[in-house]
Amino acid sequence: MIEPAWRLQRLVFLVALVVVVAFAIWLAVTGSLQAAAWTTYNVTHHCVNVVATRNNCFALGQNYENLDRLARVNLGLAVAMPGLLGLVLGAPLVAREIEQGTNRLAWTQSITRTRWLLVKLCVGALGCCVVVGAMTPLLEWWTGAIHRGARVVPSLFDVSGFVAVSYVLFAFMLGAALGALIRRAGWAFAVGIPLYALARLGVQNFARPALVSPSTAAGFPANAWVLQSGYVPLGRSSPATGQTWESGYQLVANCESKIRAVSQADENRCIAQNKLHYLFQYQPSSHFWALQGVESAIFIGAAIVLLGVTVVAVRRWRT
Amino acid sequence: MSEAVAALETIGLGKRYGRRWGLRDCSVRLPAGRIAALVGPNGAGKSTLLRMAAGITRPSAGEVRVFGHSPQRQTVDVLRKIGYLDQERPLYRAFRVGQMLRFGERLNPNWDAMAAHGYLSELGIPGNAKVGKLSVGQQAQVAMAMCLAKQPALLLLDEPLAALDPVAREGLMHLLLGSVADGQTTVLLSSHAIADLATVCDYIIILSASRVLIADDLDYVLASHRLLVGSSQGASHAPAGVVVVARTSSERQIELLVRVEQPVTDPTWRVIEPTLEEIVLAYLREQSTGTLSEVRAGESVEGQQR
Repeated sequence: MIEPAWRLQRLVFLVALVVVVAFAIWLAVTGSLQAAAWTTYNVTHHCVNVVATRNNCFALGQNYENLDRLARVNLGLAVAMPGLLGLVLGAPLVAREIEQGTNRLAWTQSITRTRWLLVKLCVGALGCCVVVGAMTPLLEWWTGAIHRGARVVPSLFDVSGFVAVSYVLFAFMLGAALGALIRRAGWAFAVGIPLYALARLGVQNFARPALVSPSTAAGFPANAWVLQSGYVPLGRSSPATGQTWESGYQLVANCESKIRAVSQADENRCIAQNKLHYLFQYQPSSHFWALQGVESAIFIGAAIVLLGVTVVAVRRWRT
Repeated sequence: MSEAVAALETIGLGKRYGRRWGLRDCSVRLPAGRIAALVGPNGAGKSTLLRMAAGITRPSAGEVRVFGHSPQRQTVDVLRKIGYLDQERPLYRAFRVGQMLRFGERLNPNWDAMAAHGYLSELGIPGNAKVGKLSVGQQAQVAMAMCLAKQPALLLLDEPLAALDPVAREGLMHLLLGSVADGQTTVLLSSHAIADLATVCDYIIILSASRVLIADDLDYVLASHRLLVGSSQGASHAPAGVVVVARTSSERQIELLVRVEQPVTDPTWRVIEPTLEEIVLAYLREQSTGTLSEVRAGESVEGQQR
């Protein structure tokens, strides 16, 4: 069953692979150019120390800016890649068989639908993992080459480490489940994209900040993902219960308007009066692997639930 | 009726598509070892019946049993016993013929690889040809070879002869008969080619307008039907003891197809033994015009000039 399962998915898989390889080459080329431009701008010509003529320095800066803008687009594509790859491979897995009627051939042979499905899913999932897994070292180098900050910050986080493997598994299972439910590969793909984006953004904005309890500091943290900042009560590292990060600002503003504050000293007096201190809440780079692990577990867990949905949908399928 | 487990048994089986019934109150019992023809006009519910027996259509009413087990459960035990040829002959078009056969071999423990290759070489279909590039008829033959090589106990064949030229039809029937000659295989095949079936089948199920009209031994069906021909003037009443299935009348004569329990001796009627085709057509024609009624003996057979 493994060989025919592979043969059935081979074409779409090879097409996806060609696109991914082309994208990888594109990233390698633009990344190298940008890394070189960075070096030229900052080191060789000592623009930072204004040794070169001003015009030349401006041109070099422009050149870097252009490459950086391109890098922003590429980063978007790299973030979207696991989702698209997973959906492209997952959506037709069951749906295409139903569309072409070949499920009536496959499901009247001497193996159960569940076994047929599990073999196909394993082959597809393995393919997804291999492709994305092969991309991760390249992406790891690339995120360094484009100098966009700490890996723990969203977008960079999504293309660093191993979390993208869990994304592709989730997208693959989402596509397969939707395909089994909707029975149309095109629709499964079209519905899958917004659902996948919703799941990813939901986790990124509401779950990820709290997956590992965040750190706080009085000064702006370097190499970190800053979640919140503002005035919180002295002795606390977060706003008091029932209060938000905005509440502290409100207290200070009220006090300032009352005393008609004009100087920094007035502001400081208000801060002291309300027994507040200014804090940054953030995920430091040291939480990177822990966050990757927990987020991967969430998406793999979701993929397992979708696997169950797909199995039930396929077992229940009748005309 | 034998006490042995029937190869296929349906009890009050029905399938509703929206408000329309595709098959209704279907109760048939196909004994093991028979080769049964399933005939009826388009839309009579033949494919629906076969699909429910193959476990790929869910009944709306009643139940279906294959060797006593529900094919709806789709257990390996039942799946092994069924060989199903879908009307659309689904095959993986991107596969080569040899790969398609290997697919069957991997998925079926009783696969007869030698036979499968034999059938196709006999039919002149090369193993390295792309399935999608084959003609419709050749695809039908590959699909059929896959069904036969599976060596199931019950073959469910939906229009196996459609899209085939007369020579290919004969070849396919020959193939089928050769592979079920041991008497271990029960066959239920739907077809429009009634003449081809008569020589092959020993059981017949006639479906029309989603109902079962006849499900019986072919010999009994042939023996229990007679064609009665009488002149329009003389014959105004059907003879006693017969059930009129269909009538055609012209100005000069009346023709009745009747079900009989004993020989017709009424001298006003000339008695002819009908062919299977005549019987089937009579049933289907009457059903399609909505005039099939169990006309009792002695009732008037006039009216309906055609």
